[in-house]
Amino acid sequence: MSLKFLIVDDSVTMRRIVINSLKNLGYLEFVEANDGKEALDKLLADDNINFVITDWNMPVVSGLELTKSIRSNEKVGKIPILMVTTRGIKEDILEALQAKVNNYIIKPFTPNILKEKIDQILAAA
Amino acid sequence: MKTATNLSDLFTKLNDLKHVFKYGEMLIPIIQNIIDFMRETVPLLENINNSITDTAAKIPKAANQIQKVTSATEVATTEILDVVDELTNDVFTVMSLLENITKAEAEREKIFTELKPYLDKVPLELLNKFESFFMKDNNPEKIQSIFANMNDKIYRITLSLQVQDITAQQLAAVNHLIESVQERLTSLLSHFENANIKEPTALNIEVTGTVSFDPNARYEDRQEEQNSADILVNEHFVSASQDEIDKLFAI
Repeated sequence: MSLKFLIVDDSVTMRRIVINSLKNLGYLEFVEANDGKEALDKLLADDNINFVITDWNMPVVSGLELTKSIRSNEKVGKIPILMVTTRGIKEDILEALQAKVNNYIIKPFTPNILKEKIDQILAAA
Repeated sequence: MKTATNLSDLFTKLNDLKHVFKYGEMLIPIIQNIIDFMRETVPLLENINNSITDTAAKIPKAANQIQKVTSATEVATTEILDVVDELTNDVFTVMSLLENITKAEAEREKIFTELKPYLDKVPLELLNKFESFFMKDNNPEKIQSIFANMNDKIYRITLSLQVQDITAQQLAAVNHLIESVQERLTSLLSHFENANIKEPTALNIEVTGTVSFDPNARYEDRQEEQNSADILVNEHFVSASQDEIDKLFAI
């Protein structure tokens, strides 16, 4: 399955790291966004985006709010969402799950974790 | 009789007045001490006020310096990632070339084997020497393995650079704390008369507080937390599936 990723993080460094990681896994198509608002705009404008990887703590609109907005949108509501964040406490993870992220990675992430979570999400789809 | 009563009242009041004067005599030294104390304390309070004003004025600069650190590390990290990208491309190019060379070698060896019967006039020693120069002992595979390992190491460098994002969040948390302290100091200073507090904008120093951050961000092995997160995720989706099953049976 050809995947086009939307990478959402206010850190330029983290976006590049995630993209490099995805390239290492053989993926080739990426769109970047600096915050949740920009992400939602790009997601709604590009029908080819079929996977979202988002940070939580961002200015303007957070990753959690982005997730809720995506899930409440009829057009893009079913898109897989992977949260990649420094937040590691149980309450945060549960809150993200209640907002309906598909999986959760805690930064700093290890080499194999990204592949593992993407594969899990795709297998469950 | 009336005169006697009036006189008695008068003496009582004179007595009361006498007590008042006595109290006054006792109070005067105390009041004098208080005045002396205030006289000594006011300059001290003025010093404290000046000190707080100076410190409050430095806070935007401190916040600005911290922001510069974040910006500098971001620039440096981007440069490292640029080099990492170039290295990765080079590694892939070499691996691709190596693959081509390996295929060409195999083809050459095959052709040589076919040619050998026609080379009976060539000294055997020379033929053997020529054959010995074909790649053997899995050298191509070993070389490819080395480059594959190199690629893994380059990727680990990339992942280590997550430290920049995490330290940026930690610094943003410090900045937030500094700004909170400044607000508090400003509030305290506003109670002093003629406080001369310069607002950050008046100093033309940008105090950024717009970057969202996780105050608990840290760069360390978080595999245990990830394992806990994985358990929560799995439990969530198992129970969600069970809910759907239950709903089906409830219909």
